[in-house]
Amino acid sequence: MEDEAFTDICGKPISLDCQSHSSFCREFIISSPKVSMGKVMVYTCSVWLLAYAVFFFTQNTAVLSGAILVTLVGMMLHIHFVKVDHESLLVIGSLGIQVSSSYASGREITTFIEMSKIKDIVINEAIYMHQIIYYLCVLLKDPSEPDAVSSVVPLFQSSKPRLNCLVKVYKSCQEILSKCQ
Amino acid sequence: MLENSPSPLPERAIYGFVLFLGSQFGFFLYCLWAFVPEDWLNSIGLTYWPQKYWALAMPIYLLVAITVCFILLFGVNMSNTAPLDSVDNITDVYAQGQSTESCRNGGIPRLKDVSISEVNKMFYLSPSM
Repeated sequence: MEDEAFTDICGKPISLDCQSHSSFCREFIISSPKVSMGKVMVYTCSVWLLAYAVFFFTQNTAVLSGAILVTLVGMMLHIHFVKVDHESLLVIGSLGIQVSSSYASGREITTFIEMSKIKDIVINEAIYMHQIIYYLCVLLKDPSEPDAVSSVVPLFQSSKPRLNCLVKVYKSCQEILSKCQ
Repeated sequence: MLENSPSPLPERAIYGFVLFLGSQFGFFLYCLWAFVPEDWLNSIGLTYWPQKYWALAMPIYLLVAITVCFILLFGVNMSNTAPLDSVDNITDVYAQGQSTESCRNGGIPRLKDVSISEVNKMFYLSPSM
């Protein structure tokens, strides 16, 4: 298990954890930084100060209770649906790969792709908003047409690591895929 | 055979000068209509012209429309970009339909699209990089 100083495309630090369970089974976990208490305090205080300013001019107490409700519900929705804690890629030779992402509230979304559908795992460059980024993706093939790429599943979408991290994961995956495909 | 080149020609110079004179004259007429009071225009007999409000409104509408078009063009480009999970980032109809015949010995290999798996192996797995 190694932990070098990797960052994502915006410059925020992330950490990569490579675990080798056996000669044909490896797991890669990329963790994003946790929700910082400072940011939470800043957002909450600014929203509540704004609500108090509105209350000061309108003398309507519903504004205050509305602001409290909005901050609470907003924070709960954010940690349940938006904030990804870690994403993991589990490669099991000749069986398949499992992609899972877990959110800050504990919710986990898992997808399993069997090996007969996988053509390759590659690092591709594509235009994303205003920049060109490297991203790791799984090329899927139709079993009836083994030479054509039927669809693409991008990996590590929330953490978006940079090329040095992707190359490590890619080399490790290719060792398994070249043996067991 | 006619040559199609963008170099200057006498006819093109004449067209350009005619357009230049025409646009300057059109601007002079527009200023004339905008500044001459309505009574004078009515007294000559020109009664059915747009309101003077439009002398200001039309240039402003035009400039705002051009600015919005710039922003809109950027937005249209961004929304037409293929998302990260689209096959268009990997290959397309022409690359899939290319012939895979082997090259003749001694000749230059045919120009073709190299698949992404091969490119990755060359970049990231070969010991030279």
